[in-house]
Amino acid sequence: MGEEIFNAATGAIDIIAPEFALNPQPTIRAMLEQCPIANIPYTGWALLTRYEDVAWALRHPEIFSSEMGDFLQLGNVRPMIPQQIDPPLQVRFRKILDSQFTKKMVARIEPALREHARSLIAAIIEQGECEFDAAYAIPLPCKAFLEFMGLPVEEMELFLAMKNGVIRPDAPPIDMVRCTQLRAETGQQIYRYFEKLIDARSAAPREDLMTYLVQVELEGRRLTREEILDICYLFLLGGLDTVTATLGCNMAYLAEHPAHRRRLSRDPSCLEGAVEELLRWETPVTILPRVLKQDIELHGISMAAGQVVNIMISAADLDETEFPRSGEVDFDRERNRHLAFGLGPHRCLGSHLARIELRVGMEEWHRAIPDYAIKPGEIPRVSPGIREFQYLPLVWGKR
Amino acid sequence: MKLCLESGLCVGHGRCYELAPELFAADESGHALLRVAVVPPELESKARRAADNCPESAIGFE
Repeated sequence: MGEEIFNAATGAIDIIAPEFALNPQPTIRAMLEQCPIANIPYTGWALLTRYEDVAWALRHPEIFSSEMGDFLQLGNVRPMIPQQIDPPLQVRFRKILDSQFTKKMVARIEPALREHARSLIAAIIEQGECEFDAAYAIPLPCKAFLEFMGLPVEEMELFLAMKNGVIRPDAPPIDMVRCTQLRAETGQQIYRYFEKLIDARSAAPREDLMTYLVQVELEGRRLTREEILDICYLFLLGGLDTVTATLGCNMAYLAEHPAHRRRLSRDPSCLEGAVEELLRWETPVTILPRVLKQDIELHGISMAAGQVVNIMISAADLDETEFPRSGEVDFDRERNRHLAFGLGPHRCLGSHLARIELRVGMEEWHRAIPDYAIKPGEIPRVSPGIREFQYLPLVWGKR
Repeated sequence: MKLCLESGLCVGHGRCYELAPELFAADESGHALLRVAVVPPELESKARRAADNCPESAIGFE
């Protein structure tokens, strides 16, 4: 496998190939062995793959800028805050946002999250099968996130449509013109929606994250309307997609690896280690894009200021120099400094929220349905980029 | 064994206070704080585990 997706002679990697999204690890291992800096054939953009290089790049925003300008088309007309701005301004925004996403703050959602997990499982358990994305991976974290932000849960379909219109527009990924157009249209819809919500919370404050954004002060002043919109735009994309993707990746892995599945079902004490190790192995958010602020040379390759460099965290997480026996999934791994949530100043703001959603989601599922498999004769479908198992048919024995 | 935390490197991954809550705590923004200066012998392996799992390599020993 691997050879058609990755060309070792040129370093070209077809990152949107469906086979790569479904089963990336063999290709990534070939890249790590043969090519520290790969490239994307459609754009010519460089890809850093090794743990050491990836960690270095993520720690040096003064060289690897997050201000993507026109390079990244996600329908937004201004940079998303804080993801697409650089320190020192980025750090000031993180200061007011980090306090809302701490482990302690997100712990409040656990009872409702657990109850929701149980009700989703109760609705399908007697059927003996489900399409996992629609039945569990989408509704579980998305409801939790909407509640966490103070957004109306009954409008979940609208939020999901807006999120998908940006991340996976309804056109082939290679048709970039059409994709860009769809993203821009969706972007305008997102801005309009949150404009109204800002007005509503300004007029009638509540105890929620939306109201916090309207009221919080950044160095002695309220946030501007545009700043709040630019934060909400990011929250919509970050909160409604990545945990769904991770749950699907985890379950697809466990469905095909009975020993790991049994271990997790029989020994809930390994849950935390299992979640971390599956984050490393799957790293569903595969690439973090950056723009070079200065010329650099790395592994004999010169890269010029203004050029895009993609930081491939999914490759770094399989690097043998950082992770001995990197090809083995080991829930008891003693040292696991995986980069699924990134590193440095842009460390995923929602990492603590993601962890609680993953742990509760995995724990409740395995308590109720310890043994399951991918439906015989079916092949799951996975999206590239952020690897979401959009079609994951699972079957289990009825009780 | 003396515990050291380089606060300037911490970005709030929270692995340390998750893995060794006896030794580390979180401040209001989720960044790490030391609970103790000297690690009791029975917690040395936990301290090493926390240091090994800090993605920013912000934890060390003297």
